[in-house]
Amino acid sequence: MAQRNSWLRGTTIRKSGPSTAASTRTGTPTQVQSTSTTIFGGGVKDPSGRTSEYFSMDDQCPVCKSDRYLNPKLRLLVSACYHKMCESCIDRLYTLGPAPCPICNKILRKLAFTPQTFEDLTVEKEVAVRRRIAKEFNKRMEDFPDLRAYNDYLEWVEEITFNLINDIDVAETEARIRQYRQENAALIELNIKREEEYQRYLQEQEEAERQERELRAQELRRLEEEEREEREKAKQGLIDKLEMSDKDAARLVAKSRAEAQKRASARAASSSSFSQSSARLLRSRAAQSTVIPDVPHVPLQDNYYAYDDLFTMRDTYYDPVSEAVRKDREGIMRAGGYMVEQAWQRALRCAVAGLEIAPLTGVPAPPQEAMAIDSESSADVVMANA
Amino acid sequence: MTATSTLESQPVASTSSQQSLYEASTQYRHWRFSPKQLVDMRYALNSDAVSAIRNAFENDSPGSSASVAFLSAQEEYLLVKLYVGKVSQLCAHFRFPEEVEATAVTYLKRFYLKNTVMDWHPKNVMLTALFLATKTTNHPISLESYASHIPKTAPSDVLDLEFLVAQSLGFDFAVWHPHRSLWGIWLDIQTLPDVSLGDLQTAYEAATKHVRAARLTDAEFIYTPSQIALACFSLASPTLASAWARAKFPSLPHPPVADVLGSIEAMILREGSPPDVEAVREVDRRLRLCKNPEKIVGSNAYNKKLQEKEKKAEEKRIRKAEAARIAMEEGDPFGNELAKKAVEELDDDDDDD
Repeated sequence: MAQRNSWLRGTTIRKSGPSTAASTRTGTPTQVQSTSTTIFGGGVKDPSGRTSEYFSMDDQCPVCKSDRYLNPKLRLLVSACYHKMCESCIDRLYTLGPAPCPICNKILRKLAFTPQTFEDLTVEKEVAVRRRIAKEFNKRMEDFPDLRAYNDYLEWVEEITFNLINDIDVAETEARIRQYRQENAALIELNIKREEEYQRYLQEQEEAERQERELRAQELRRLEEEEREEREKAKQGLIDKLEMSDKDAARLVAKSRAEAQKRASARAASSSSFSQSSARLLRSRAAQSTVIPDVPHVPLQDNYYAYDDLFTMRDTYYDPVSEAVRKDREGIMRAGGYMVEQAWQRALRCAVAGLEIAPLTGVPAPPQEAMAIDSESSADVVMANA
Repeated sequence: MTATSTLESQPVASTSSQQSLYEASTQYRHWRFSPKQLVDMRYALNSDAVSAIRNAFENDSPGSSASVAFLSAQEEYLLVKLYVGKVSQLCAHFRFPEEVEATAVTYLKRFYLKNTVMDWHPKNVMLTALFLATKTTNHPISLESYASHIPKTAPSDVLDLEFLVAQSLGFDFAVWHPHRSLWGIWLDIQTLPDVSLGDLQTAYEAATKHVRAARLTDAEFIYTPSQIALACFSLASPTLASAWARAKFPSLPHPPVADVLGSIEAMILREGSPPDVEAVREVDRRLRLCKNPEKIVGSNAYNKKLQEKEKKAEEKRIRKAEAARIAMEEGDPFGNELAKKAVEELDDDDDDD
C-alpha cells in the first residue's frame, strides 16, 4: 500500500517564490502559455514529477465568459474551492489581496490557484484530497497488532477521505484529522522517515547498477581497442618478416595465423570469466527479487543448435516438392519472409533429431508430468458429461 | 533463507531447460511410451470404462448389464484404427496437405489413449480431430464449409467435442511427423557421394507410402519420428538407408539407430494395413449395444446424470451463498480468515455456470 500510493504522497508545490516556481514552469506543456505575471505552480504531478495541464478548445472562463476563440492564450486555473477562472480574472480579482470567489463566495488567495490536470474537476479534487490524506495517514501494517485492526484503520481513513471529497461534515472531519495528527505525531514522523529511507535505498541501488553497467562498457571498449592494436601489430610484424627473411612465405603466414588464434582464444577465456561475473550478478539480482522457484518450460531457451553437427546444409537440393515455390519469382506462393532454405533446414533437423534415442522398454516409473496428465484425464471424464 | 534456496535452484533450472528441441517437445515428454506401457494403459482404460458403464446400466435397470458383451481393449483399438484410415479418405476429399492428415491421425490416436470408444464414438471424434488439426497446422477452413461437405453433420457436432478433444490431448498440439523427417533424409542423402537421383526418387516415393502405413501403427508412441522415417526409407532401399545412417555416425562402427530399425520395419509390415472391415463392422454392431448410456442424449441414464449434476450445482450455490451470508453477518466482507476451511469447501467452480 505504501509503495502503491507513494506518488500520492509527493509534495504539492504551492507557489512560494519565483525561484522554485520557475523550475516547475519548465514542465508545463508549451501550448499553455501564461499571460499572467504570476507563475502558478502545483497541480497534480505524474510519477516523473511533471504537471500536464488539461487543455481544450471549448474552454471558457465562467467569470468573464471569454473563450478560446476570443483569446487564444486563455489559460484556466483551478481555485481552492474547485472553480475555474482565467488568468486575467485572477489577476483582476485577487491582485489586491484575498477576495471572495465570484461563484461560491469562499475567500480565495491568488497563490492558491493551481493548473488543471484532469478534465473532471471532481477527479482533480479527489486526487488532491487523497494526496493530503496519504501524507498524514501513513501507518503501515506493522504498526497494528493484527490484520483486523489494520483493515479497520483503512476503513476509517477511507471514510474520512470520502467525507472530505464529498463535503460531508467537513468541520467534524477536520477535527478528527487534527485529533489523529496530535495523537500520532511521532509515528507519522517515523513513517515519513522510513519512506524516505526506502526511496534513498532504491536510488542507491539504481546508481550502483548504472555504475556497474558503465564499468562493463568501459572494459569492453578497452578489450576491443587492445585487440585491434594487437592485430595491427601482428600484421605489421608479418609484413616486416616477409620483407626481411628469406624463409618460405606460406609457412610464415601460417605461423602468424596460429599465433593470432592462440591470442584470440586466450582473450575469449578471460572475457568468459568476465561474463561469468556478470551472470553471477544477474543471478543474485534474480534471487533478490522474489521469483517463483518453479520455472515453467520456456521453449525459447531450448538448445536450437543441438543437431547442427549432424548435418551440413547445401546451397541447393534436387527437390521437386519445393520447386514450384522456388521458381515463383513474384512471391505469389510465399508468405512474407518465407525462405525455402529454412524449410529445408527444418526438415534436415527433423531427419536427425532423436535418431539415437533408444525406445522405452518395460514399465518405467512415470515422471511427474505424466501423472499430472492422468489426473487431468480423470477430470476429463467429469467434463465429458457436459 | 529463501534467497539462498532460490539461488541454488536457479542453476538446476537453467541446465534442465537446455534440452535439444525434440527432447523438449511435448511429444517426447508426454506421448512416449514403451510397448508394455501402451498395452497396460489400454487394458486399464478399458477395464475402468467397462466397470463404469456396467454401473450405469445397473443404475438404469438392475440386472441389465449381464447380457451386454462389452468391447475388449483390442476391439477398441481395431475400431480406432479403422477411423484413422477414414481420416486419410477425408483429407483426400478436402485436398488437405499431408501435415493436416498426419496431425489429425495423431490427435485421434492420442485421444483414445485417454478415452474409450464406448464413451465417444470415433466417427464423431475423428471429425473434430481433423477440424482441430486444420487449425493447429495453419490450414484453416470455415466450419460451415467443412460440415457441409460431410453428410449428416452439423457444425455443432464438430464443435461440441472440440474442447474435450483438446483437453484430452493436454493441449499438446505440436506434433513431430515422420514425413517431414523423411523429406529431410531425402535432402540429406543427396550430400552422400555417388547417389543416383533416379534410385533416390523411387526409394523416396516408396518410403512415403510406408510412412502413411506407419500412421496406422503405434510406432509414433514408441519411436522418434526420425527413426520411423529412416525405417520407412530402409524398407524402400536398405542400401541407401544404411549408407546414410553410417554417414550420420562416422565415429561408430555400428550406428545406434540400426538396432531399432528392424523392429519398426516389422511393426509397419505387420500392422500397417487397414483392419478387416467385416471384423470392425461386427465390433461396431456390438458397440451400439454397449455404449455408455449416460452419453446417449435422451436416454434415462443421460437425463438422470443431468439432474444429478444440476442438483450438485444447486447445492454448491446454496453452500456458497450460506458462506457469504455468514461472512457478512460477522461484519467482515472478506470472511473471517482467508485460509479457513470454509473456503476449502468452495472449490473453484467456474466450470458449472
